[in-house]
Amino acid sequence: MRIELALFASLEPYLPDSEPGSGRRTRMIDLPDGTTVGEVVARLGLPDQPRVCFIDGRGVKEDATIAGGSRLAIFPPVAGG
Amino acid sequence: MADIMRVNMSDLSVKKEPLAAKYAKFVGRALTDAIIFNEVPPKSDPLGAQNKLVFAPGLFGGTTAPNGGRISVGAKSPLTGGLKESNAGGQVAHALAKLGLAAVVIEGKAADPAARYVLDIDGAGNGSLMRADELAGLQTYETAAKMREFKGDAKVALVTIGPAGELGAKAAGIAFSDPKEYQNRWAGRGGLGAVMGSKGLKGIAVAATGAGLEHADKDAFIAAVRKFSTALKEHPVTGQGLPTYGTNVLANIINEAGGYPTRNFSDGRFAGVENVSGETMREITVARGGDVKHGCHTGCVIQCSRYYVDKDGKYVTKGVEYEGAWALGADCGIDDMDGIAALDRKCSDLGLDTIEMGATLGVYMEAGKLAWGDWKGALAALDGIVTGSADGKVLRDGAEATGKAFGVTRIPTVKHQAMPAYDPRPIQGIGVTYATSTQGADHTAGYSITSNVLGVGGTVDPLKPEGQAALSQGLQIATGMLDSFGLCIFVAFAVLDNPAAFEAIYEMASAHTGDTWTADDLMMLGKQALTMERLYNEAAGFTAADDRMPSFMLTEKLPPHDAVFTVSDADLDSVFDFVPETAKAMGISKPV
Repeated sequence: MRIELALFASLEPYLPDSEPGSGRRTRMIDLPDGTTVGEVVARLGLPDQPRVCFIDGRGVKEDATIAGGSRLAIFPPVAGG
Repeated sequence: MADIMRVNMSDLSVKKEPLAAKYAKFVGRALTDAIIFNEVPPKSDPLGAQNKLVFAPGLFGGTTAPNGGRISVGAKSPLTGGLKESNAGGQVAHALAKLGLAAVVIEGKAADPAARYVLDIDGAGNGSLMRADELAGLQTYETAAKMREFKGDAKVALVTIGPAGELGAKAAGIAFSDPKEYQNRWAGRGGLGAVMGSKGLKGIAVAATGAGLEHADKDAFIAAVRKFSTALKEHPVTGQGLPTYGTNVLANIINEAGGYPTRNFSDGRFAGVENVSGETMREITVARGGDVKHGCHTGCVIQCSRYYVDKDGKYVTKGVEYEGAWALGADCGIDDMDGIAALDRKCSDLGLDTIEMGATLGVYMEAGKLAWGDWKGALAALDGIVTGSADGKVLRDGAEATGKAFGVTRIPTVKHQAMPAYDPRPIQGIGVTYATSTQGADHTAGYSITSNVLGVGGTVDPLKPEGQAALSQGLQIATGMLDSFGLCIFVAFAVLDNPAAFEAIYEMASAHTGDTWTADDLMMLGKQALTMERLYNEAAGFTAADDRMPSFMLTEKLPPHDAVFTVSDADLDSVFDFVPETAKAMGISKPV
């Protein structure tokens, strides 16, 4: 299956060298059906620190399964206001 | 800190008096609240002689407590009609505290409306008023430059208003100087600049020469400071995210969550967000040689401030903060970072709150008065505020006044104050804060974005109503405490996740004052501040009907989640359930 991956802030350097997605910090990636967020994190080699993950704009935990055609966005801990 | 300086603009007298017993236990926001509660009639005219404008450093003002140099500013608000406490960084809180001043209270009103005065507070902590009519109508940075000319080489922290404040604009703020003497830190919200202007006061110069304050137990204070500083530096948000990208790092994550209000709260995502995000702003600023990391006041260890520079590397404005970048950006359909910076600078020059003015321009664009994305047209519209254009006379009073004047029904305000940069439909916890805060729609009053979106301090599903009232209540109380201590609210990110950070706050307070502060005492101070604000607002005429979302947010579905605000009225009415008990314990029932 194909999904869109978005990595922001300090995670941007971990974007794979694949087809660009809809935005500057996004790529299209191919994954086996049933892949979880945690498996993507491991595959990308993201640093071992807390993360905030979204599938199609909804906050998810890392055991969440990704469906084909969806968008996975991962942020390092950020805040402001 | 033992003295209050009372500045009477009616008879031009300046007096210092010891802090009265009824105020002795309060500092910062709680002291601001107590003075207004006890001395400003709730039904009085906010721009009249009865209103008082209070500047109060927090408990840690004048000390080395990390991030402890915030200033609390308060008055009856011309925008909300309630008690307003607006909070800013900059250098003045430390300067006042080191001169032994717990508060400066501006009272009365100059007899001659054309007169302009500057309050000069010297190195001995004595104040005097100087006539300074030549400052009339000057913009913020010009005013600060002239005041520094008056003072020669003297090291001073400055407080100023722009022409909008002099005109009585309900969106006018008050500016404070930062450590490098840029007049760019703001108590923006609620029209406090208009209160200062109504009194004839154009600026305050405070000698920044006082010595650091003594501590009851110096060794214990230093140990607690180290503990607090370590906790802030070790937390990934306060130690890495904020210092690297600044507050505007939020743009992408709030957009991802579908809560980034776009074109006057008609969409939760903005197609141009990548052009105006914190990541992009950092890239632009680094490429142009701008400063991308400093504190807004001495003693800040988070360092989320920065300066936005033009293509020649010349200072334009503060590194646009998340709220300003959103208000003057996505909410107006503007995705040009230089355009947003120009608008931010324009608001600063005129002395206007960027959040209120961005929301105002969004409403104005929805009315068809200006095209979405037209930042040059927006600059001209803002200029109209001081040149006296017919529309400018409306815009200066904010989003609600503008919406009503031009027939817009989608007006994103609560208690007459515009909502900041989080749509409360897909992020319902912040909606509870907007609805119930004594301040009107205000994100800082109870920053539920923490658990709703950022995964700090636990997780509460942002799209559901469950748990939001309790989340907001806890954060509103904690914020009342942080604002009273003079601490930046960003310390909350570490405090919520690390018990050592919370312990360090009451350990610093105990070691500094010699009194014993406990965790319960901290929360009680927050409750007391909110209780005075709440009772004041009730006496000013607010009811439960004022603690509600604008009706369009209950019915109009916001893309992409098709969300509406679903927290019940009963839940909203539960947020201030601690007020009767706290008021009883304080021995208060109604204001003056």
